[in-house]
Amino acid sequence: MTTPRILAATYAALAVLGFAGGPPWVLTPLCLAALVALGELWLRALAGEAMPTVTRIGLATAAGLVSLPFLAITLHATGILIRPRALAVGLAVLATLLGVIVLLRERADGAPVDPRLPRTVAAVAIPGFLTLVAGFLALQAYDRLPHPPQPGYTSLALNGWAGDIDRPVAIPARGVHVPVRVSSAGRPAATEPLRVRVGSRLVSGRALAVVPGTTRSVDVFVPAPPGNCLHRIEISLGATSTVFYGHGPGQRRC
Amino acid sequence: MTLTRPAPGRTTGAAVASPLEAAATVSRRPAILCAATLVATGSAGAALLVAANRAAEWDTGRQFALFWAGMLVFTLPAVYWLVRRGTGTRLRVAVLTAYAGFTYLPKLLRTPDGPLYHDEFAHWRQAREILLDGRLFEQNPIVKVVGDFPGLHSAVAAISGLTGVSIWHGALLVLMVAHLLVVLGVAVLAEEIWQDARIAAVATIVYSLNSSFLFFDTQFGYESLAIPLLVWTLVALHRAMRGPAGRARLGWSAVTVMLSAATIATHHLTALGLLGVMLILCAVATARALRRINPRAVTWTAWALTAAATVLVVSYLWVVAPRTAGYLDPYLARALDQFAGMAGEGGGGGRTLFRESIAPWWERAAAFGAQGVAGLGMLAAALWLRRRREGDAVSRNGALTMFVLGSCYFPAALLILTPSGAEGARRSWAFSYLGIALVVAPVVIWLLDRAPFYSGTALLAVCAVVMVGNTAAGMNPSYRFPGPPVFGSDTRSAIPEVSAASAWLRSTQGRDLRIVADRYSGLIFGSFGGQRPVTGSVSFPTYDLYLAQPGRQPSPRLIEQLSSWRFTYLIVDRRMAREVPEIQIYFETNEPVPHSDKPAFTLGQLTKFDRTPWTIKIYDSGNIAIYRFDFASLRKAAR
Repeated sequence: MTTPRILAATYAALAVLGFAGGPPWVLTPLCLAALVALGELWLRALAGEAMPTVTRIGLATAAGLVSLPFLAITLHATGILIRPRALAVGLAVLATLLGVIVLLRERADGAPVDPRLPRTVAAVAIPGFLTLVAGFLALQAYDRLPHPPQPGYTSLALNGWAGDIDRPVAIPARGVHVPVRVSSAGRPAATEPLRVRVGSRLVSGRALAVVPGTTRSVDVFVPAPPGNCLHRIEISLGATSTVFYGHGPGQRRC
Repeated sequence: MTLTRPAPGRTTGAAVASPLEAAATVSRRPAILCAATLVATGSAGAALLVAANRAAEWDTGRQFALFWAGMLVFTLPAVYWLVRRGTGTRLRVAVLTAYAGFTYLPKLLRTPDGPLYHDEFAHWRQAREILLDGRLFEQNPIVKVVGDFPGLHSAVAAISGLTGVSIWHGALLVLMVAHLLVVLGVAVLAEEIWQDARIAAVATIVYSLNSSFLFFDTQFGYESLAIPLLVWTLVALHRAMRGPAGRARLGWSAVTVMLSAATIATHHLTALGLLGVMLILCAVATARALRRINPRAVTWTAWALTAAATVLVVSYLWVVAPRTAGYLDPYLARALDQFAGMAGEGGGGGRTLFRESIAPWWERAAAFGAQGVAGLGMLAAALWLRRRREGDAVSRNGALTMFVLGSCYFPAALLILTPSGAEGARRSWAFSYLGIALVVAPVVIWLLDRAPFYSGTALLAVCAVVMVGNTAAGMNPSYRFPGPPVFGSDTRSAIPEVSAASAWLRSTQGRDLRIVADRYSGLIFGSFGGQRPVTGSVSFPTYDLYLAQPGRQPSPRLIEQLSSWRFTYLIVDRRMAREVPEIQIYFETNEPVPHSDKPAFTLGQLTKFDRTPWTIKIYDSGNIAIYRFDFASLRKAAR
């Protein structure tokens, strides 16, 4: 393929990748092809001579691939954020630079011919595609087989405003409703005791149904601790618990 | 159709600077037979690999036999087709491609959906940071220097951004291409040196027997891309040394420098390994030049390109990644200390190979046998190189360089006996095995040509033993196979409970929070959770929080560090009080934590935070608890 055609194909591919979009299964081979084309331009610009076909395929692929980190580093150094459009434009600029060098070089020396290349490309592409298909089928088969269950859990977390508690809470005389989040996965349905302790004193307790595969918020009433002392406040559900600290409204010294 | 237009005034033959490849197979029959064989064996192999994973998941113990049956049922016929005298050039390339594709399958089946190995979490996070923030060189909390070497994760992030595939699928694409590039690269390098496609194919097969080939160098880790770059840099270097003077040599030199630059931007150790190989090449070329058997241009080209690569590597490490020396140095220093300890009177500091491994006896035996085979292979290669002085100056330089490189395999193998050296030893094998592969390959072909049937059968058996043994030596079973959750394994600690805790923290408190964690929670919170975990170090001993006995305050200096550096959360995995980590690490390799067959922590040490007013317990799921620091309440007492 002539250099202008490679350039045109690269620009078209980059335009689709950067601006048009499409399904990933179309864009991925397109991206790979654009990178290999870019790698071919690198080779024509730098080495500029014929070489064994496998060497050409390998070096073009490697050079195309490393264009991405080179470009990313350049964008970073110039303060441009690495985004898909910036990458597409950057690759197009790189292709243009390489294309100019190649065209100048070819005007002086001509371009070498290698009629074996298309067949060797096919010799890489066909088994490559077949192994991809084999890998995909193997993954599908593996996915569909039954797998052992993962260990389950029940979690309890401070929720809503209580999730932001970062210091002792001043609890008014009327007490406070503390939202907690209960989540369960991979365990059978159960009823767990939901308890509130202020210091070592159990102040309330009730049963709470824990449904597997659900997450819900529950308000738990915490009465005001006696006096202005710092009290440990524990809300527990079965074996799990949350703990924060608070003091009551009184003026009594501890 | 041609890929390039004809050069005016030149014939095709004159334009092709490289020797023409052997003519393709005249008859299509072998190709059809080969394709049919490999499709059938590949399908059977893939099915057996799936069966092996399933056996491992259900813990039946049959995974090892199924896995190797699956690998060998494809690879042995592929080897046959590769070394067969009548196989044409294109067919050989096709088989090599299929070989590369099939040998990626074990890793693909192991991690189809997301990161699993330790370094994979670090690269996955780094790629996601690029997609989110659009910037490179962000510090990585899991592997602190990963961010300084953006080659792999920037390529993955770019592909993910351009195509819309997930980061993991983008990574798989890059890694599969990189794996193919290694296979083709070794073949091309071998052909540069030996000018023989069969020898090249054998060299590729021998290289693929190294311990990192199937699992380690296929992971989402920087070496997986850097090693193919190293191989292709050496290809370009050989062509630069050989190329006719003038523009061609200059062009290949430019390719060499470009690929060297890409290597250093991708991985520190591989870049240093590349410099090592180039320096060996220079030393060999200089020694031969002094004896007047090397053209001066070859030697000068080698030195000039090595100097250029050195400037690139040193400049990069000095300017862009100055932390790298501090990151690598402790590993080497500790390994040497432990080696000295082993050699001393006490004999301490060493490690027992396959300790508590569930690998079957025949894998372990093969692991030791593989080292013997490598030794015998190198001995035979030495005799071969001494007797046969074939090829031009560049080929001879290359062969001798590869012999010296291959010889480095054996001293590095000794480091496997030390805990700190083992990691480095494993990583070095991917380089030194390149040397072994390239000098043993002609000996293999010589043997095959002498007695094709007997030596062929024996060599296939040896190939199988070395593949089994090296893989067993390089990767422990929990990395190779799925299975029941195991605490303290990088690959099997990540139970849904840890992921749920990490997701909760991210969704309610945001990302980029500074958190204190153990190694295994840190992997999940630092990657999927998007947080900045610290797992402790000598200068910032966060593990002292966990080690402190109930009722004892942590050191004021540590609290000052945590407070001034704005650490806000503490993650506690209570499995640390019930189980011993599989890899004997709780936080980091140098931790001051007692290691024995009992857990290093009591439940009291881990639940003490439930009763300290400066730690607010905001989340609990049984094994995992998340606390928020409130350093202002440190001295307060609660009722």
